[in-house]
Amino acid sequence: MSVGKQEALQNALKSLRIAIPEVRGALVASTDGLPMAQNLSGNEDPNRVAAMAATALGLGKRISDTLNGGTLTETSVSGTEGQIFLYAAGNKGVLVVVTPANVNIGLVHLEARDAARSIANIL
Amino acid sequence: MNESKPLKVVISGPVGAGKTTFVQSLSEIPVVNTDETASEDIGKATTTVALDFGMLTLDGIPIHLFGTPGQDRFDFMWEILCEGALGLMLLVAGDRPQDFPHARRILEFITSRIAVPFLLGVTRQDLPRVWEPEDVAEYFDLAPEQVIGINATSSTSSLLATVRLLELVEAYDPFYAENLQGHYDFGGTVIKSVKKT
Repeated sequence: MSVGKQEALQNALKSLRIAIPEVRGALVASTDGLPMAQNLSGNEDPNRVAAMAATALGLGKRISDTLNGGTLTETSVSGTEGQIFLYAAGNKGVLVVVTPANVNIGLVHLEARDAARSIANIL
Repeated sequence: MNESKPLKVVISGPVGAGKTTFVQSLSEIPVVNTDETASEDIGKATTTVALDFGMLTLDGIPIHLFGTPGQDRFDFMWEILCEGALGLMLLVAGDRPQDFPHARRILEFITSRIAVPFLLGVTRQDLPRVWEPEDVAEYFDLAPEQVIGINATSSTSSLLATVRLLELVEAYDPFYAENLQGHYDFGGTVIKSVKKT
């Protein structure tokens, strides 16, 4: 991946985190599960997060296909301590956004869908 | 032979071993696959990121086939998919001996977590320069009957391997055998009918 692309992805993640300060971490992975850019605050392994994001998105696509949901745009995982949103960024990438459990979901979607669109354009 | 509990078989192995092809050759339903465009050079255009799922009926017994991704970064899927599996088919490409150590690591990863009987399938037996199953058995330090040559593009070859795996499952452990007994006629009509074709 070119330096310019990498920088553009990092910037997209940075502006997402500035727009929603509660976000705990964000990452861009390829749809085959390799990390392309990351802004994670914890000690999560980006390689593992990227692989899991690709798995969840890939499975989500098939579920959507099977149940006539059309092209998958996003899927999410909710826990008592946090939520993880996964957005399709075009057909090459996936955007992962990690938030606390009590976050304003509407705001997260608003900003993250925008970010996913610009990431799709970068890729 | 009615209302039988399905048997779960997992197909694993390194990238490019033929796992997706194997499931496609065997499945009687359209295979649920999760192929995505490969962004690294792995010798093919797409790669499995979650699982392949197919179904097969042997002697009236439904067999559910679960194919895993091959890359180490998806190792969590190996564990998830192997839960409750009755047998593991580990595939390795017979023309890629450089993948053998990886295949061995996958095997150790899975069998150290879940005690599951397995069969090692050496694929691409249709190619002229390919490792023989006997030699691969020696490399992996396995009994010859635990290794089989496969052409994953052939449904007959894939079916024979599946039958052999189920025979190993029966011989492996009384617990497994108990689950299977009365469900499956080992070494009987299925093998004969397969060999005839």
